[in-house]
Amino acid sequence: MFWCFSMDNIDFTCLVPSYIQTFEPYYPSKPDSELIRLYGVDHLHRLNNNENALGPPPEVKQVLKTFAPAVVPVYPNGDCFDLRQSLAERFGKNTDQFLVGNGSCEVISSVIKAFCEKGDNIITADKTFAVYEWVAEFSGVEARLVPLKNDGFDPQAMLDAMDGRTKVLFVCNPNNPTGTYWDRDTMTSFLNGVNSRAIVVLDEAYCEYVENEDFPDGMALMDQYPNVVVFRTFSKMYALASLRIGYLCAGDEIVDLIRRTHTVYSVNTLAQKAAAAALVNDGPFIEATRQMVKQAKTLLCNTFDCLGLTYISHEGNYIMVKVPISDTLMYRKLMKKGIMVRTMTGFRFPNWIRISLVQMPVMEAFCNAFTDILRGSDNHGR
Amino acid sequence: MKGSADQSVSLSLPADISWVPLVQSVIENGAPVFGLPRNKAMMLALSAEEIVVHLAGIARGTRIDFRLEPGGWHVLCKFSFKADPSDLWAMNLVTKTDVLEEIDNLGLLVAVRAVDGFTLGLEGETLHLTLRKDRDYPVVKPGPIEPVDTRGDLTIVRDPEPELIKAACIKALGIYTRDVVPRSFVTPGMVVDMVEQMDLEIAIAVDEIGVLAGMICWQASSEQGIGFSGPYVFVKDDRAGEILTDHLINTVARTRAMGLFSDSATSSLVTEGFESLGHLNMIQTDGRTVKQEVWYRHLKEDVGASVWAHRAYAEFLRTAYDRQVLMRDLKIVEGQIEGKGERLPERSVFSVELRADAGKATLSPMVTGLDAAQCISRHVETLLRENFFNIFIPIDLAHGWQAAMGQAIMDNGFVPRMVLPHGGKSDVLVFQHG
Repeated sequence: MFWCFSMDNIDFTCLVPSYIQTFEPYYPSKPDSELIRLYGVDHLHRLNNNENALGPPPEVKQVLKTFAPAVVPVYPNGDCFDLRQSLAERFGKNTDQFLVGNGSCEVISSVIKAFCEKGDNIITADKTFAVYEWVAEFSGVEARLVPLKNDGFDPQAMLDAMDGRTKVLFVCNPNNPTGTYWDRDTMTSFLNGVNSRAIVVLDEAYCEYVENEDFPDGMALMDQYPNVVVFRTFSKMYALASLRIGYLCAGDEIVDLIRRTHTVYSVNTLAQKAAAAALVNDGPFIEATRQMVKQAKTLLCNTFDCLGLTYISHEGNYIMVKVPISDTLMYRKLMKKGIMVRTMTGFRFPNWIRISLVQMPVMEAFCNAFTDILRGSDNHGR
Repeated sequence: MKGSADQSVSLSLPADISWVPLVQSVIENGAPVFGLPRNKAMMLALSAEEIVVHLAGIARGTRIDFRLEPGGWHVLCKFSFKADPSDLWAMNLVTKTDVLEEIDNLGLLVAVRAVDGFTLGLEGETLHLTLRKDRDYPVVKPGPIEPVDTRGDLTIVRDPEPELIKAACIKALGIYTRDVVPRSFVTPGMVVDMVEQMDLEIAIAVDEIGVLAGMICWQASSEQGIGFSGPYVFVKDDRAGEILTDHLINTVARTRAMGLFSDSATSSLVTEGFESLGHLNMIQTDGRTVKQEVWYRHLKEDVGASVWAHRAYAEFLRTAYDRQVLMRDLKIVEGQIEGKGERLPERSVFSVELRADAGKATLSPMVTGLDAAQCISRHVETLLRENFFNIFIPIDLAHGWQAAMGQAIMDNGFVPRMVLPHGGKSDVLVFQHG
């Protein structure tokens, strides 16, 4: 007979801090193969995660092709030495100013852990990338959410929300999901207002999509404002999302502090090599991507205009539109037609969807499906 | 409010009538400390007496944990004890001491009559029985109120003060019909205490000069669902309903909840963001039948699921899921309750939740036994006799054993009315009698 230990009556929640007990876990969507089966479709166009549908730059494809199996059993370089060299050369910084993470989500966590303790707060917008808020909350730190103003971050309201326990302000520039951004004057005025009382994170995940001259370059701003930390990622423009690699850049002293809470060895070798390769000759690739986004944006804006719908289209490879049914129902209806978009209720934009901007054939398929649903030629869910 | 220091009073005692005076004494002396008037404390004590006598009769000597608990706007008597599922049959609201015996054991039903709320639920092997008695509050009877003009932008009030909440309740009663206004609004003081206790959440909108523009209220209805009432709009400005509804959605969007439900939404709800799940036919105390439309809104992207179903209602489910564009794999449970050599307990157990003011009874299966159909039949017969004309049985399609009860439920005159997506552990199929 085996010994059995009954676990039925053990309540593990008593071991968990109260801010974890109330925190809502995030469940990612099912794999494409399962979604295709469930929705009874033969294809799935992913327009939900702002991925670059062109695929990675040619130099990255070469790295992927030649990646030697013999490297697989060996641990990666623990702090991405070669990649930090590439980044330093690219941006005219020194290697100690960079920390590389398993996606920029990891560096968000490193920053909050480095600067915040119980009773502290971070400040960001209510309708922006949710991970700043989530990491703060599951770290027991208050997230102060400032409403957007005209679809953009409100600098004065963020300054007004600061107090003696404010440690980090997160500015998503350009903002996901609205695509709005602070120009150079707005940014410098805000940084002057903060006056180094707290760390200012400029999340520039989509900066490579912005062509306007007045877009502020965080890499340059940190020379003048030592409290600035810049986040960038290889997941969006550089199309390395599945490899999970992003980084932060700041002054040496700030990075030394963040490094204390940052996990080493979290970025795999292939991701490190691919990211370095992506920087080698990215000009033509970025230009091709921008052209693709421009074409797609024009088509979608025209379609939404024809349908009389309200939309928000600024920077980035995405566009938001308000739909006359719930966004979650629109999601299901589009899924029935093999198209996956992002519902915006979780971003606090109820009844809005966000669509990634990709190649024209897919955009045309989206427009056809979307128009069919709104014109009622679709018979489900009504 | 919740989270403050525990003020409750506890006893641990064997189920024996010798201990009835002790339980009565704790309630008679303790409930007034928690704000219950003496006459109401006496009624609560009488109900508790019935419970102890009942338990002593069916499970003499069983250890009972008893708690008298303040709830701000009410006082709760909670009984819990461990029991083998096969012995739980006597905890049905209506049961017979023996299947062949014709004399009903109505101890629980007697207890129910003297309180404002009664719930019976099973958690693992522990049965929880709760009696609720509400505190006294002044009742308001406002006459008709006309919507007024507004000035400037509408905003949501942070932490509205009690007088504002009371004023909003009175406005809602003066503008909307009773079937879409929670009964608690007639006692606005109770609503204030419910909000303070976090048993109810509300949002109030005002205009630029502080004129009350509207209110919406909500509360968790299950682990994954939130029920709401409203929006109640007190002004001529059409934006108020949308602002309040958006505020509700944005407040709960990043919580555990999967969906919002309402069977008491007003005409001010901007329904384009919601899906109609269908109607419930609610028989009123004056005999009229009011169709209550149930509105639903997913808060997250539905990723599909597998649910249990019985052939008796599988087609209803397929039609409903197709209409709602919900991807579900139906796992059909074979046979009926008396299925295929399975060893089921002889007797079934149903938990019950009663709302006397609405003549509404909700039966939920806790244990499936061979007598499921008869057990449902007995409940229906008694509930109708007690003027509970709106009888519902929700089954959670996460559980094959609940899904298998479908035939027994339908054989007793129930029809499947609607599917509540993520209404329980999985989707909930709601049957209504008649």
